[in-house]
Amino acid sequence: MAQIELRSVSKHWGPTVAVDGMNLALENGEFVAILGPSGCGKSTTLFLLAGIYAPTSGDICFDGARINDVEPRDRNVGIVFQSYALYPNMTVLKNLLFPLRFTSVKSEEALRQAKAIAELVQIEELLERHPSQLSGGQQQRVALARALIKKPNLLLLDEPLSNLDATLRLTMRGEIKRIQRELRVTTILVTHDQVEATTMADRIICMNAGRVEQIGTPENLYRKPDRTFVATFVGSPPINLIDGHVRNGSFAVGQKRIPLSGSCRDADVTLGLRPELISVAETGLPSEITNIEPMGREILYTAQSEIGLFRFLEATPQPRMALEDRVRLHANPEDALFFEQETGSRIEGLSLAAFS
Amino acid sequence: MMQTQTRRQVVNAFIFLGPASAFLLVLLVAPIIVDLVVAFTDMSQTVRIDEYTTDQFRKIIRPNEEALLGFELRGSFYRALAKTAIFVFFTLAIFNVTFGLLLALTTTALPDWLGGTFRAIWLLPRMSPSVVYALLWIWVIDPTERGLVNQVLTNVFGSEPVNLFLQHPMAVIVVANGFIGASIGMLILTSAIRSIPQHLFFAARADGAGPLSIARHIIMPALRWPLSYITVFQSLALMVSFEYIFLIMGPARSTMTMAMLAYTKTLAPQIGSGQYAYGAAITLILIVIGVVVALLLYRLTNMKRLLAKPRIEVH
Repeated sequence: MAQIELRSVSKHWGPTVAVDGMNLALENGEFVAILGPSGCGKSTTLFLLAGIYAPTSGDICFDGARINDVEPRDRNVGIVFQSYALYPNMTVLKNLLFPLRFTSVKSEEALRQAKAIAELVQIEELLERHPSQLSGGQQQRVALARALIKKPNLLLLDEPLSNLDATLRLTMRGEIKRIQRELRVTTILVTHDQVEATTMADRIICMNAGRVEQIGTPENLYRKPDRTFVATFVGSPPINLIDGHVRNGSFAVGQKRIPLSGSCRDADVTLGLRPELISVAETGLPSEITNIEPMGREILYTAQSEIGLFRFLEATPQPRMALEDRVRLHANPEDALFFEQETGSRIEGLSLAAFS
Repeated sequence: MMQTQTRRQVVNAFIFLGPASAFLLVLLVAPIIVDLVVAFTDMSQTVRIDEYTTDQFRKIIRPNEEALLGFELRGSFYRALAKTAIFVFFTLAIFNVTFGLLLALTTTALPDWLGGTFRAIWLLPRMSPSVVYALLWIWVIDPTERGLVNQVLTNVFGSEPVNLFLQHPMAVIVVANGFIGASIGMLILTSAIRSIPQHLFFAARADGAGPLSIARHIIMPALRWPLSYITVFQSLALMVSFEYIFLIMGPARSTMTMAMLAYTKTLAPQIGSGQYAYGAAITLILIVIGVVVALLLYRLTNMKRLLAKPRIEVH
C-alpha cells in the first residue's frame, strides 16, 4: 500500500501526445477510477505507473520516492488486464505462483499464500485447471488473484469488466470492491464505462485527449462538471446541451430570451441540463414531443422547444404522452449549468432565473 | 436448373483442384511409381529393362560378385546412411532449430529496425542463387592462403592454413546448409513470437520476470508447436537435400549422403553414373526412411494436435 503521486507526467509517441502534463495524488488505500473515451491516454497512464512505459517527462513517485527508472518488477505493482493475460501454458495455481517465483518467498509459504488468495477470490476448486478451461468471470478472478498475491503497493485494473456479460459485470463490480476494501490496497481502475467508475471508485479522474478534465467524487462530476466534456461523458442519457449567447443578463437563443441568475459578461455559452431534472408540468417551457423511447423502467422522451431539443425521463412503464403532444417542460432554474463555448469551462455561479 | 448447377460444381472443382492435382501427379506421384518399378529391375546405362529382380537390394546386404568392386557398393550404402544421419542431426540441432531460435529470440528483442535488418541479412543466403552461395563457400574454405578462413588464420592468428575439404568435410556441409536453413526457423519462430499477446509480456514484467524468465516461461511455451513443425519439416528436407553438398564438395566420398549417393549413381555426369536401378533402390529406401521418420516425429511431437485445431488464444 502506497501513496502515489504523478508530477506533470507526459508521454509522447513520436509526435503523438498520449498523456499531457498529468498531475495526480492518490491517498493510501484509495480507490480511484480513470474515466475517459478510447484513446484518451488512460491505459497509457496505467502502464506508466506499472513501469511498462517510461514517461517522456515528469516524475512518478511512490511514497515520496521518485521511481521513474525503477523496473516494473521492483515496483511491486499488480495489474489486471482487459484480456486477463493469464499464462496459457500454466495451471491456475502456477499462474498464481508465478509472481512469487521472483521473490524470496519459500515454496511452502508461496503455496499457502496462493491458497489464501484463491479463497479470497473464490477460485479454490479451479487451481488445477488451465486458463482455456475457465469462463470469462473465472479468468477474471484468477487475474485478480495473480495481481494481488504479492500484496502490491498499487493495484491497477485495465478495463477489467469489459469482456464480461452484463450480469457477471454486476457481480464482479461488487467483488472487486469488496476485495479492495478487505485488503485496503491503493487501486486505480481504468474504464470507459461511467457506471463502473461511479459505482466502484471513491474518486474519478475524467480524462480526454491526454489531459485531466476533472478530478472529483462521482457526485461532484455529475452535479458540478467543470467542463462540457465531463458533463457529456458522465450521466446517461447524456446531458442536454443547448448553444446560445449571454446578452444583457439573458440567455439568448434565436429570438428567445431567458433571464439569467448571476452575472456574466456577454459571451457564447452552452446551457447544460440533465434529462433527469426535467419533468412535464402545468407551467414551463412550451415544447412538442418528437420521440418516445421506452427503456423498461423509464421512458425517454425527446421534445422540441423554442430553444432546442430536450431529452427527459419519466419513471412510468407506459407512455403518458404521445408524439406531437404539446407539453410544458419544467426544471429548477438553478439546476441549469453554463459552459463557456470558447474554453469549454463551466461558468461558476451562473444559472437561469426561470425556466419557461 | 439442377443439372447446370451440378455441372458448374464439377467445372469449379476442376478449375480449383486441377492445377494442384496435376502438379502432384506429374511431379510427385508419377516419379515415386517410376522409382518403385525401376528399383526392382536391372536398368543401367542402356536404359533398358531386361529382367525384374531384387538384385539392387541384395547388393546392399551382400557383396556383389558380378560387379568390379562389388563389396564397395555395400560399404558405400552404409556409410551414406551414417553420413545422412550425422548431416541431418547436426544441421537440424545446431542450426535450423537452435540457431533459428536464437535468431528469432534476439531479433525480436532488438528494436524493430535493427532486428529487421539482422533478419534480412540472414535471409540473403536463401535469396541468392545456390551456385553463387556455393562458390562463396568454396572461396571461404579454399585450402590455399586465398581462402577467407585461411587468410584469417594466417594473418590474425599466425597459424598454418587448413584444408577443411579434407579435414572436416562433414562440418563444411553442416555449416553451409545450416546458414541457409536457420533462416526458415528464424522466420517461423519470429512470427510465432510476434503473435504472443503483448499483454502477456506486460503481465510477466509486472509479475517480476526478467528477460530470461520471460523467454523461458512466456516465449518458449508458445514456440512448442512451431518448433515441432520445423523439426519434422526440416529433417525431411535435409534428408533429401544434396544440391549444396554437390556444389561445394562435388562427388567426394567424405560427404556422400544417401541423396548424394542416389544422385551420383544415376544422373550425375561422368562419375560412374547410369546405375539407374541401383539409384532407384537407394531412393526407395530413402523414401521409406522419410516416411518412418515423419511418422515417428509426428508421434513424438504430437503433431496431430498441432494440425487438429488452431492453438491461438483468442481474447
